[in-house]
Amino acid sequence: MTVDILSSIKGAQPSESVNQLFDVIKNAQASNNNSLNNVNHNCVSVSDLREDVVIESSAIEREIILENFPNKKNGFLVVAKVIEG
Amino acid sequence: MDSKIKEIHQQLVSKQITCTALVQEKLDLLKQNTYNSVNSLLDTLALELAAKVDAKITNGETIGLLEGIPFGIKDVYMVQGTYTTASSDLLKNYKSPYTATAIQKLLDAGAIPLVKENCDSFGHGSSSENTIFGAVKNAVNPELVGGGSSGGSAVNVALDYTVFSIGGDTGGSIRQPAGYNHIYGLKPTYGRISRYGLMAYASSTDCVGPLAKSIEDIRIVLNVMSGKDPKDQTSTTSEEITEEGIAASSIKTVGYFKNFIESEAIDAQIKADFLAAIEKIKAKGIAVKELDFFKSDILVSTYYTLAMAETASNLSRLDGTNYGNRIEGDNLIDTYAVTRSENFSEETKRRIVGGNQVLSQGFSDEIYLKGLALRDQISENFSKDFEEVDVILSPVTPAAPPKIGDSLKDPLAMYLSDAYTVGFSLGQLPTLTVPQGTTTGLQITAAKNNDELVMQFANFLKDTL
Repeated sequence: MTVDILSSIKGAQPSESVNQLFDVIKNAQASNNNSLNNVNHNCVSVSDLREDVVIESSAIEREIILENFPNKKNGFLVVAKVIEG
Repeated sequence: MDSKIKEIHQQLVSKQITCTALVQEKLDLLKQNTYNSVNSLLDTLALELAAKVDAKITNGETIGLLEGIPFGIKDVYMVQGTYTTASSDLLKNYKSPYTATAIQKLLDAGAIPLVKENCDSFGHGSSSENTIFGAVKNAVNPELVGGGSSGGSAVNVALDYTVFSIGGDTGGSIRQPAGYNHIYGLKPTYGRISRYGLMAYASSTDCVGPLAKSIEDIRIVLNVMSGKDPKDQTSTTSEEITEEGIAASSIKTVGYFKNFIESEAIDAQIKADFLAAIEKIKAKGIAVKELDFFKSDILVSTYYTLAMAETASNLSRLDGTNYGNRIEGDNLIDTYAVTRSENFSEETKRRIVGGNQVLSQGFSDEIYLKGLALRDQISENFSKDFEEVDVILSPVTPAAPPKIGDSLKDPLAMYLSDAYTVGFSLGQLPTLTVPQGTTTGLQITAAKNNDELVMQFANFLKDTL
């Protein structure tokens, strides 16, 4: 798949400047090519997971979410056209 | 410079000033300013809160240290009911439905939010020129950039429009504008402050942090915002940093990266000033050690590879479906594509495309996965360094701030200008910019969770340089 499709950006092309950065990585001498992810421990312990509870949105939160919706008609939220077929 | 927070607190308590007059004065300054540092003013909310603080003082009630202190917020933080645009066309009319944890903690402490501040769109930039609100001008010389991505925040603090501001730092976005505008800016240890309610750029390095004019104000604000938050599961518990704890420096050994200073890219004056600062530190009896480190281009490339991959994923939700400036196309996929193509800036598109490049089949092994492996090695390198030295000192940038307009012409040069900040982001290390030593300041870095050491050494440098 091309980057314009992957990125959902029309006519997108790889950038020369960015490619120069990637070339540095390709040519770098890494002592190990596989990340062991053993340096920065940011994962959460299973015993420390947050409680699985439903938190109701406040009235103001719901109101703003509706206000942010891009398209409304006759009180209904209008989604973008679906893909036919 | 002493704590502005404490000075204003004293003025409020002793009724030398009213909170309403203080807030109104700052709002007027922000409104009239020509530095493009403001995206939106929170004037109604700020004045309401100020009136409450005044009422408390009039009634003889005790107020907290942050109560009534006006502050600014980079326009990537959710504050319920306010516009949160990320300086982008896509979200120019987006209102936050909820409030970010870090900001909520400041509101709970009584601080008064004045302004959503201009920045590079979605944090994508090092100059605050990638914005729909106009390039942020440098507080010291308005012909130069304000730095980025938290440029508006740094400029507002430097010009005293806000007492402190809250920025976001992914690869240097607090530290570099702090350096460009001669103030303090802290990127705390990754996870010390919850990112819930901060628009995600690159989640593995995104940090919330304060910008202010004194170390004491940085300490006060950091303490209020820190702490574990169930809504950001990378957040951690941390101990409060006391004023006494950072008053005297326990630092015996300082390191610096030889290759940063021997680089061809470094400006001659910044190099000379940095080395002069090192000599002054040595003269105080502190041992200074030269350290080996990865080449700057490896650091920058590793950072941008990972940051682009993460931002491509994080920003994939912005398609105009549930929010954002939807532009209808021929069908659903076309609607996504037109919405994103028309509403994202060139720099944001460049990063999304780069991210999808490195994550796609055939490229992920030789670029993305290798980038992850390099990050591990960079972090291991830091771990070894901190067995030998207490803190690492570096320049913030290789050169002085560029003129407005220059960075947009040459994206690669802009990426490379982050050479001295991105490594510490990859290491998730606490790093503070101090406005001394070179024309864009100095960075102090310590091992993870040693944020206190960084501030100790900053106090030492304040008296030494």
